Amino acid sequence: MRNELTNTRRAVIEALLERAEKDDAVVLVCADSIKSMKADDFAQRYPQRFFDVGIAEQNAVAIAAGLASSGLKPYVATYAGFLTMRACEQIRTFVAYPQLNVKIVGANGGIYGGEREGVTHQFFEDLGIMRSIPEMMVVSPADALEVYEATKALLDFEGPAYLRVGSGREKRIFDQIDHFQLSKPRAIYQTGYDAVIFATGPITKRALQAAEKLKQAKIFITVVNVPTLKPIDKEEIAYFLKNSQLIITLEDHNIIGGLGSAIAEVSTETIPKKIIRMGLQDIFPESGEAEALLDKYGMSIDDIIKTVRNGLSKLA
Amino acid sequence: MDVSNDFLAQKANDLRKDVISMVYQAGDGHPGPALSIADIIATLYFKEMNIKPDQPRWPERDRLVLSKGHACPVVYAALAEKGFFAKELLPSLRKLNSSLEGHPNMKKTPGIDMTTGSLGNGLSIALGIALSGSILQKDFYVYAIIGDGELGEGLIWEGAMAAAHYHVGNLIVFIDHNGYQSGGKLKDISGINGLIAKWESFGWHCQEINGHHFQEITEAIQRAKNEREQPSIIIANTIKGKGVPFMENDNSWHKRTPTREEFEQAMACLGGEQNEK
Repeated sequence: MRNELTNTRRAVIEALLERAEKDDAVVLVCADSIKSMKADDFAQRYPQRFFDVGIAEQNAVAIAAGLASSGLKPYVATYAGFLTMRACEQIRTFVAYPQLNVKIVGANGGIYGGEREGVTHQFFEDLGIMRSIPEMMVVSPADALEVYEATKALLDFEGPAYLRVGSGREKRIFDQIDHFQLSKPRAIYQTGYDAVIFATGPITKRALQAAEKLKQAKIFITVVNVPTLKPIDKEEIAYFLKNSQLIITLEDHNIIGGLGSAIAEVSTETIPKKIIRMGLQDIFPESGEAEALLDKYGMSIDDIIKTVRNGLSKLA
Repeated sequence: MDVSNDFLAQKANDLRKDVISMVYQAGDGHPGPALSIADIIATLYFKEMNIKPDQPRWPERDRLVLSKGHACPVVYAALAEKGFFAKELLPSLRKLNSSLEGHPNMKKTPGIDMTTGSLGNGLSIALGIALSGSILQKDFYVYAIIGDGELGEGLIWEGAMAAAHYHVGNLIVFIDHNGYQSGGKLKDISGINGLIAKWESFGWHCQEINGHHFQEITEAIQRAKNEREQPSIIIANTIKGKGVPFMENDNSWHKRTPTREEFEQAMACLGGEQNEK
């Protein structure tokens, strides 16, 4: 089953279903998101531990805070922006501040996730908003398998966390992940250090595709997958910063607040480097097909290749 | 607990004296909103709530969510009197390194069941705790106190809808209906009309009482406890600043520190000693 898992939303539910069987404390709270989260079977199997509070995200998070105060392990799952923006205060003041064991699962992460819906359903500020809240762990896996592993790891972590997932259209990147660790950035492609691309989320796929094409042109790079933006493993990031003269970050998120900012923060404190931040360039996008949207807004495979080539020519 | 109304009146008076002393010594705080719920707090902590001061996180305990968190001095005073922590801590209210913060912090203060203070949130949080009771099969009550001014927050009504939908019979909510919010009278600021009709239409068990009358408070709680299929709302008509005549219905005491003279005068009204602790 794990092999066929491609939907990042469903991957959360699969992990929860598995754990709920042996752990009575696992609770799922939806906000009219049972269908979009593909959580029907969780609701049927565990009706006592499933709540769909309707279109009321603040209510969902506040209820989860109450559940967690009694020792339960609620997961609140619905669209990323409605949680991180509309229910931002509930997350900040009643989950993060009292360090309650509530997991916030935000769907439609990025413009790829929201695609044809347009800006109202494309969420590219969530990582920045969540990262700026003390005590919040911020997790942004690259594919369904990594979401599944991250969800399992988060079940073993007691405290507040944000888990970003997509639309369900994401492609698988990993065949298997051995010994997944939440905070560990991993080099998932490595032919050399002409450039290092730090990537987070499903767009990591494009970094890998660009890396393959660059290899054919005898440009050898490293792609580092960063599944957890906070806490960030400074030592590991610094190791990769040190090894290349060309550092690029790639994320399906505004270039303010997300991965680019996180890497730049580590860089200023460890190995100061010029960093090129690829992502949404602080503008509002529009409706469109997911792949075409990323292409239009500066995150095409060609854009990645060009950024590497231009960067290298400036170094020369 | 079987206690007399005279006993509760004495406790409430003691709490009011503590509130005045605490705000005076802190040089900051909200005396008016704390005084208006002193009788409800005295009834809850000294008669109704099933709690163990030596085990603040006892899983079977009744809980209180003080949604109007700025009234916390009166809860701190009750918790100290119950023995959750030493009374000597009370004068440290709002001071640096104190465990008694300006608004309730469940991580710092023994006996505080939920961090609160930003208005409009307590009802939904209390609902979550009430639901945890049925999941964990524990038979406790969850009390919440919300200010009438908080009813302006949309989340209150999200919680109101959900609590009725989930039929949480173990949720008992007081509205501290003193008629004022920070900026003035509710009736001049927001549409507070038809409270009973509003809550009834949402599917709640509704009662309206005098929030300073111990018999009415006690009986209302008993009726709420007897209602096992619906959440209960008790609209408690109260007087902001109750117990200190010159603070009553004077909204400048929403947040204000008494001068030395005012402090002495207030303590005299409450029949207490005037010495600072």
